[in-house]
Amino acid sequence: MSDYKKPLPEIQPYSQPFWDGTKKGLLLIQHCNACDANIFYPRRDCPECWSQDLGWIKASGRATVYTYSVTYEGVEQKFVEDLPIILAWIDLPEGIRMHTNLVECQPEDVAIGMEVEVVFRSITEDITLPFFRPV
Amino acid sequence: MTKSGLAIVGIAEVPTRRDPERQRWDILLDVCMGAIRDAGIDKNLIGAVISNNPMAQPSMQNDMSLGKIPEVMGLKGCRDIAICNAGGASTTNCLRLAEQHIASGQVDYVLIPHTTVQSDMPPQDLINFFATAPLDKQFEYPYGVSFNGSMGLITQRYMYETGATEEELASVTVALRAWGALDPLSIFYGKTVTLDDVMNSRLISTPLKAKECNLLADGGGAMVVTSWEKARELGDKAVYKLGHGTRFMSATPMLREDVFHRQAYRESSRDALSQAGLSIHDMDLRQIYGAYPYTQCSALEGYGVCEDGQGAKLWAEGRCGPGGDLPCTTMGDATGRGHTGSGVSMAFYLDSVRQLRGEAGDRQVDQCEHAILTTSGGSVMNTCTTVFGRKPR
Repeated sequence: MSDYKKPLPEIQPYSQPFWDGTKKGLLLIQHCNACDANIFYPRRDCPECWSQDLGWIKASGRATVYTYSVTYEGVEQKFVEDLPIILAWIDLPEGIRMHTNLVECQPEDVAIGMEVEVVFRSITEDITLPFFRPV
Repeated sequence: MTKSGLAIVGIAEVPTRRDPERQRWDILLDVCMGAIRDAGIDKNLIGAVISNNPMAQPSMQNDMSLGKIPEVMGLKGCRDIAICNAGGASTTNCLRLAEQHIASGQVDYVLIPHTTVQSDMPPQDLINFFATAPLDKQFEYPYGVSFNGSMGLITQRYMYETGATEEELASVTVALRAWGALDPLSIFYGKTVTLDDVMNSRLISTPLKAKECNLLADGGGAMVVTSWEKARELGDKAVYKLGHGTRFMSATPMLREDVFHRQAYRESSRDALSQAGLSIHDMDLRQIYGAYPYTQCSALEGYGVCEDGQGAKLWAEGRCGPGGDLPCTTMGDATGRGHTGSGVSMAFYLDSVRQLRGEAGDRQVDQCEHAILTTSGGSVMNTCTTVFGRKPR
């Protein structure tokens, strides 16, 4: 039994490969084989063309910080031990934007446009969350 | 063909407070009776009750969805009951549905109520609600994002792109609180803040500080709406809807290309103004419900009041607050009035009616003939912009 108390991602059948990937140290992006769109977050149907012929591509794992915010308070009790939390939206070269936390850095080190790379942290036996750290 | 449309003819609101002794149904009955009395019509002329869905208030949602209001109040002419939920934009949906009912000839008068009490709920539950309802539970929530955190992310980018400073953005809260301090219905009545008060308040989610985040509170309001024709019979108290436009962007903040909703403000206001046959420069009052300071800036940019990126400067120069030449958001927004859940948008409509009637007391905008009002729901998923006037066109 895991003693992880924070919320786990609510995984859907069509996003399961993303989470299987993070467990193996891969950042996978859903890809439409019909119209070539990269899709985030994963869907059952391609939001561009409604094709169900969807596969996965391996992201480089590099990204740039689009924006960030350092949270000092106002979170649920289960997150309090993590404060301050550096929230960020990061842009992947694969053309998608993800929400994440920046780790292995201090709030004062963070800037918009900064280069970051993915780092995987296993939080339960089944779930590995992707975080990002400065390159 | 003579144009017709919707008019607001009766309003009532209770002061925004944190007071767990004040019961949800007491607020509801006070504002419903108040609005019908203000309209000066018999209660049995109300043909439909279309309620604003009170978010995170499950027992009231049931009562309001399932017909308790006309039953309890003895509204014997009530033919229909409905509830609308679009988060903060719920009141807008109530108005749109009411307009359809009235235009169809089914009913003449519609009652639109709201009530919310948050002060009797544990703060942790409210943080959880605002972190999960409008945000993604797979790719956002596990990272410790709160609603403030989400809006902090957008605010940081707004500053980066526009060059707006923290002080300029803090001046928005100073002005909103100045409006609130003049308003007996605000939780901050009589309580102004200085720029230093805002800048020195605790950091919540950078760049947002405590005084720039919303104080969750209790409140309620109601309005009675009818057709232009019926409104004319009721005399001077009517306020007329002249145009409306809306744009949807995205449910999830990180997926929003129009990250400051500037384009959505631009297009929804253009549609509303064009239906009204008016320009943004004809507006005497701009009422912006965005709940966070950057929206008060990007809306002015989208409306075309100023160039993109210059919105914060207008606030910093004191032009949008009391005494300024571009009065904005006299309602105070959630920052300057208290956040009553889905009721913030209700209070925006009610305050616009007061201004257009000349009943806004110390906050009265001089010669207020036309007002433009934008509401938004969820995590600012949409912009719903309406132009109101003292006279039908």
